[in-house]
Amino acid sequence: MKKTSFIVFVLLACQLIVQAQEAKRIISLVPWVTKSLYLMGEQDQLVGCTNYCPAEASDHIPVVANAMMVNIEKVLTLNPDLVLASSLNKPETIDILRKLGIKVVSQPYPKSFEEICSYFIQIGEMVGQPAKANEIVAQQKARLAKLKANVPDGKNPKVFIQIGAKPLFCAIPETFMEDFIQFSGGKNIAEELKMGSVTREYVLKQNPDIIFIVTMGIVAQEEKDTWLSYQALSASKSRKIFILDADKTCSPTPILFVDALEEMIKLMY
Amino acid sequence: MMNPDIINIQNLCCGYPNFQLSAINIDIPKGSFAGIIGPNGSGKTTLFRAITGTLGIKSGKILLGDKNLRSLSPRLRAQNIAIVSQFIDAGDMSVEDYVLLGRIPYHSRFSFFESEEDYSIARKYMEMTDTLRFKDQLMSELSGGEQQLAAIARALTQQPELLLLDEPTSHLDITHQVHILNLLQQLNQEMGLSVLMVIHDLNLASEYCDRLILVNRGKIHTQGTPEEVLTFKHIEDVYQTVVVTQANPLSGKPAVFLATRKVLKEIQEKPADKQEK
Amino acid sequence: MQKKYLRWAFYLAGLFVLLIASVILSLSVGEMNLGFSDIFSILRKGNDSMEYTILSQIRLPRVLLGIAVGGSLSLSGVLLQGVYRNPLVEPYTLGISGGASLGVAFAIVFGLHKLIGSFVLPMTGFAGAFLIIFLVYTISSRSGRINIQSMLLTGVMISFIASSSMMLLMATTSSENLHGIVFWIMGSLDEPDRSLIYITLILAFASLVASYLFVQPLNALRLGEEKAKHLGINTDTTIKLLFLLASLLAGVCVAVAGVIGFVGLIIPHLMRLLVGSDYRILLVSSFLSGSVFLVLSDVIARTIISPNELPIGVITGIVGGIVFLLMMSRSSVQSLKNN
Repeated sequence: MKKTSFIVFVLLACQLIVQAQEAKRIISLVPWVTKSLYLMGEQDQLVGCTNYCPAEASDHIPVVANAMMVNIEKVLTLNPDLVLASSLNKPETIDILRKLGIKVVSQPYPKSFEEICSYFIQIGEMVGQPAKANEIVAQQKARLAKLKANVPDGKNPKVFIQIGAKPLFCAIPETFMEDFIQFSGGKNIAEELKMGSVTREYVLKQNPDIIFIVTMGIVAQEEKDTWLSYQALSASKSRKIFILDADKTCSPTPILFVDALEEMIKLMY
Repeated sequence: MMNPDIINIQNLCCGYPNFQLSAINIDIPKGSFAGIIGPNGSGKTTLFRAITGTLGIKSGKILLGDKNLRSLSPRLRAQNIAIVSQFIDAGDMSVEDYVLLGRIPYHSRFSFFESEEDYSIARKYMEMTDTLRFKDQLMSELSGGEQQLAAIARALTQQPELLLLDEPTSHLDITHQVHILNLLQQLNQEMGLSVLMVIHDLNLASEYCDRLILVNRGKIHTQGTPEEVLTFKHIEDVYQTVVVTQANPLSGKPAVFLATRKVLKEIQEKPADKQEK
Repeated sequence: MQKKYLRWAFYLAGLFVLLIASVILSLSVGEMNLGFSDIFSILRKGNDSMEYTILSQIRLPRVLLGIAVGGSLSLSGVLLQGVYRNPLVEPYTLGISGGASLGVAFAIVFGLHKLIGSFVLPMTGFAGAFLIIFLVYTISSRSGRINIQSMLLTGVMISFIASSSMMLLMATTSSENLHGIVFWIMGSLDEPDRSLIYITLILAFASLVASYLFVQPLNALRLGEEKAKHLGINTDTTIKLLFLLASLLAGVCVAVAGVIGFVGLIIPHLMRLLVGSDYRILLVSSFLSGSVFLVLSDVIARTIISPNELPIGVITGIVGGIVFLLMMSRSSVQSLKNN
């Protein structure tokens, strides 16, 4: 009797220890990572975020960074076990945090849907929810396959995704936005470009069939009106100029990606 | 009755926070060649600035003939008084363009090109000042004396009744000094132009001016003919320097001789000669 | 006497020809290169072809704005240099661009353009510029008479305060806003709102005409403020009015096209070296050559790393600076010191 209870006790203790190890204190310096944590249900581990993370986080959780700087002192006082960063954070900041003995994992900005998924899973592993993460990814991949199958054949419209106005900025290959276009059966008018700031003339010359405008606020409407005024433009003739919500479209998480793609396909055809 | 004077200054008070002119009264008849003399810091320049309009007046009046100077518009003032400053800083313009600037007071707001009349007036005065030969050169290429002559030409194109000059000769060599003063004298005597100049050199002032105003410590010490003003007593009072005044053998005007330290010592060591002073 | 006016007519004619050539070049060059004769036929046909759209709705407005802004900035620079008698003065030394940038940064950071619309940016830009102009003007005319040197210092100081305030705003906002602010500051002739372009064009030409009311005072001011007064010029009024004209003109330009530097500094100097310092020829020459300069810079900005576009301020700064250094090394430094 004493032996079994001792073994049960040890097993329970081990489990408690393991769980204790996984109950980490995490600081996210990346908005979409914050979002990912919420999707996995791990938001309780979050002890710090940025001031431009989704409101559900930045309203309750201490803010440690803004667009230009990270408050290193604050990060220290929050005593995190893990800091999640991305290639959009300054390398010096990450260096400093590492030198202070803090564990920092930095993920590059995802260049494709595949990368979005693999980074998502990576995060899942780090916070102790690998199963959940894999499950979500598998679900979204299935959705994606269905969407791809339903894309009408042989259409191949020329697509222009505008992600900035003043200056005019478009989505280029080597970003996950390219996957939006590829998966929906379209062709990016900016396929040969390495840099996103283009002239309006270039867009007109390429004559896209579909334009997606991904900026916020009234500027998007003004851009739409401007494109519509160019009557020689294919997209304007067919009136296929659409405004997409930037939050949904620009956050590289698996769920949002597929949501956005679904919407885009609906609009395109 | 028409005012026989070109300038009347009545009870003028003006100046700066740390230096004031007070109770200035000056009368200068038309056609005078007048000089303002006095030591450094006496108020010569301040007085000059009050007359040119650069410095505001606290109380008193300056009359230009029958008109109150302050009531004249800048245009009218420029048509009646022309001013030649000590240093001409005209940069890259040609001499002819510089002289033509003197016609501005006569141009309407919208006149764009100079008229034939403007050009002939300018040429006439350039010839009179012997600067016509420079007309296409740049002002910056001229020597100090030549620039001064060009400035006088410019002032003359304003066709003023009164010419005001601020130490026109202080930085020039003797040749140019005499040349310019001779020219001014000629303009005064042949054209009836009234001249008022601030001048340092007492002997030049004596030779050329028919009227002198001796300024000291913000007040008029004396005014009158050179003979009346340039006595050794007045000069010693004002300049605190021992001098001897004698009639210039060439012109009969009072000439001022400085007593250097060496000379003073010699005089002191010969008590008998002291009487002659 | 005749020679001088003939020379001026010659310069004017030359500049006009240069301007027309630049306009034609700008209209022909781009993603689609259009031949010279094609331009007229395309414009006349006016159909829905892509060429017509590009020509009339993209290139032509840019050219017009380039003429307006280039001419205005140069004119503003000439006037201010005449008033301050200082060769380093240009519209932006006085804090005008700082104020406009601050106004625009404010609008972007507080999301005004998302609430109200894009036209809010030129408005806040102009409001910011106007605030600075107002401050500089009232501070320096407090004593009743204008002190030129203190105006200059006040402007420079206010400009520093404005840019520091702007950096404060930039430090606390999102990266998307940051990007927008920075690119706005670097300047661009890409302005879809046609009415703004027409307003700027009208103001530019109106200002040129208005400035000619001041040629006499300006020429007199070449001798200095005091001597200009002796020549019968009302210098206080002249300086105040010219300052306002030049500043408001520059304020409008910054509000519409962002900060395009060096044009107001380099062109007047270049023109002084070429046509002389008489304001009767200098004003219009500066205007025309400023227009040419900006139109050509715009051509370079949108073709040099085609199809990407460089901010035009980069071109005016680098090319303008180099051209100017070349010209300066040829003629003596003296010419810079004298009016």
